[in-house]
Amino acid sequence: MQELYLISLCALVFFSVLAVLLKDLLKAALSLMAASVFLAVVLFFMKAYYAGVFEISVVAGLITVLFVSTIGLTRGDDFKESKLPVYIFPLFFIWFIIIDILIMYLLLSKMPPLTKWLSESGKFGDVLWQKRTFDLFAQIGIIFAGVFSVLALFRKRDKND
Amino acid sequence: MINLPNDFYLNLIFAFILFFIGLYCLLSMRNLIKLLIGIEIIAKGVTLALISASSVKGLILTGQSLVITFIVVEVCAIAVALALVINLYRHTGSLDVKKLTKLRG
Repeated sequence: MQELYLISLCALVFFSVLAVLLKDLLKAALSLMAASVFLAVVLFFMKAYYAGVFEISVVAGLITVLFVSTIGLTRGDDFKESKLPVYIFPLFFIWFIIIDILIMYLLLSKMPPLTKWLSESGKFGDVLWQKRTFDLFAQIGIIFAGVFSVLALFRKRDKND
Repeated sequence: MINLPNDFYLNLIFAFILFFIGLYCLLSMRNLIKLLIGIEIIAKGVTLALISASSVKGLILTGQSLVITFIVVEVCAIAVALALVINLYRHTGSLDVKKLTKLRG
């Protein structure tokens, strides 16, 4: 099981790198979707089932649809990206991974014991609806703001504009 | 199922790697859609870090509700940004950020 978990994390990073380096925007968007699916698998391994379902349905589904439709509406733009990132990226990436692992290795030795940590009881619905009610109000406000912003951006011009 | 706390640091390593990939994309790419893809990758790193931190602290339900809020914010931001991209494409005929230096009304 631990191997599957590690493979999912590696696949998440691999598809994220593909999403950055692929020149075709459609393939990049699909790689991003694959990365979201693997992130959802990782969340399932950590028993974060609700977050995993949200990640698959909203991020892998809805955001990919938004990206693909935008790419479809903006076809014909044929400027070329510089090739420099493709050559420089592996060098920076390897350097960053080494630094990252060293820092985490140093942190691991200062780890506090697990016994003092909290444990949470109850159901997810109780936490979401009772403890984090203000978050829900904020979410509703953000959704309305997003919808009205998109409507404002796509409105037709009047004669007076 | 997973081995705490070692996997917490493993998750943090991968979260920082995702953050680095997204940041690199933001700094090196010129295409507007690629920039949004970079923001998405950074958001994935943040999601992974939030869930692993809440998992190791035993607050997985609170962490999940926080992540769901974060995903909703992310979707709204991406929807508005993509609408802006389409409008900019209609006006300039290009997705190149270098052509957007003159932002006049």
